[in-house]
Amino acid sequence: MSYDDVEIEDMEWNDELQSFTYPCPCGDLFQITKEDLRIGEEIARCPSCSLYITVIYNMEDFQDKSNKKLEPPKPQPVAVA
Amino acid sequence: MLILGTGSRNLWHFKLGVGECNNKAEAIDDRGVSRVSAAFLFHVVGEKFRIGNTMEQEDDEQQQVWSWGAGTDGQLATGRLQDEHSPQLIRSLSAYGPIVSLSCGGAHVIALTSGGRVVTWGRGISGQLGHGEMVNNLQPKLVKELEGLVITHVSAGWNHSGFVSETGAIFTCGDGSFGQLGHGDFNSHCYPREVSYFASKPVEQVACGMRHSLMLLRGNVENPVYGFGSGKRGQLGISRDSVKSSSLPQITMGLENLKIISIYANGDHSAALSGDGSLYTWGRGFSGAPDAYIPCHFDAAAFPISDVALGWNHALLLTGEGEVFMLGGDRHGVLGDPQKTPSTADVRGKSEETMMQIIPGLVNLKVVQVATGAEHSAFITDNGSVMTSGWGEHGQLGLGNTNNQTEPRVVTLGRKFTLSHATPRVYCGSGFSFILERHDVSS
Repeated sequence: MSYDDVEIEDMEWNDELQSFTYPCPCGDLFQITKEDLRIGEEIARCPSCSLYITVIYNMEDFQDKSNKKLEPPKPQPVAVA
Repeated sequence: MLILGTGSRNLWHFKLGVGECNNKAEAIDDRGVSRVSAAFLFHVVGEKFRIGNTMEQEDDEQQQVWSWGAGTDGQLATGRLQDEHSPQLIRSLSAYGPIVSLSCGGAHVIALTSGGRVVTWGRGISGQLGHGEMVNNLQPKLVKELEGLVITHVSAGWNHSGFVSETGAIFTCGDGSFGQLGHGDFNSHCYPREVSYFASKPVEQVACGMRHSLMLLRGNVENPVYGFGSGKRGQLGISRDSVKSSSLPQITMGLENLKIISIYANGDHSAALSGDGSLYTWGRGFSGAPDAYIPCHFDAAAFPISDVALGWNHALLLTGEGEVFMLGGDRHGVLGDPQKTPSTADVRGKSEETMMQIIPGLVNLKVVQVATGAEHSAFITDNGSVMTSGWGEHGQLGLGNTNNQTEPRVVTLGRKFTLSHATPRVYCGSGFSFILERHDVSS
């Protein structure tokens, strides 16, 4: 069973992983790529454990790769010393 | 003699001359930097060599620390990057003297020493360790930026940290992408930075959740609690409507003129406890109940509550009589097991009374302390036993396996020596656990 239902806008874009991520209770991150979303995959998995979440999103938003309004919902944080 | 650490990153090599117990222990990290460490204890061919000065030796014997569970970010302080299914005795903290408390986050830990110094380790990729860098630390390390201050309260969130000083100043560092550092922006910081908003409002406590932070002010003030960070599930309690986020502190509503003594945050949940044992909760609803945008008095409890621990989907309430009740525990100990997991729809609309349940297996025991990870629970009983229940996939229950437990089971610590008058305290991070046991010199 899905651990949780999470809206895409609550997930964070991770440049290093090239995935949308959401905290997993094990301490790692649930992950799903744009390509997964484009083909209609809605399960984001954690690489460290058996849990997964269901991602709530509009598949049409991910159909056209050149569609600029599909930028990640939040900018990556900038490190400030 | 050469002892090799097993971590894939930051591999540590320890060199020690065999049979020469007066030799220095040298720790060489992966960059080839040699560091002299005087606080390691080695067992060599069945013989015990103690390296260290007398003061450290005394501290070591008055304090024992164990860790277990998820360890892939170095959060267990074992020097390794692997999960541990049984309690591991941790020696690497003895160099810092007496530890008074720990706070465990998503994958990092903050230790507070009796002198008000702060030591951190574990995941540091968002700057949450406060060392001025964005890397993981497998070994405890003093936060030098806070040197000269006496820190009295700390809290570790998912990827951020909060530190309160003796004078009531509050410092935050780590992930700030939801405004959870309170500096008025969405930047992350790798050094603790003072939250200027509270310059004239001394802070007593800080509580860091997944993406939000709560502050409890000192003294009798009209508005005792403030929140900042993500407010999507109502966890800030600052408006009757959903607030996406606030990067500056805002007053948490509904607690006006109450004498709040403790605040709690984990996941998207928030809670406050008043001096008369009344509990207030806000944020994500338990067991599929609606989210609460402002604090609600939890009136299902007909008895004073003495302590609270919040997980990501459950809460533990401890009464003065040593009884424990669980809120939202419908999935506790059955995570990942489709046969046993009720769907959210089954519990939607249930009242607070039915959401609150007594924990089987604790009925005849007196519990003195509770702690919660994201999906596991830990209990200390009045005879000093440590018990755990919940999700166990990473060994976070410390029972020697990766099984789930619906009923609390006793954890075997394997004490090297028994401390007189010592009561262990338990602290849980998302997928891991720590025990701190100190000899109480006053007893």
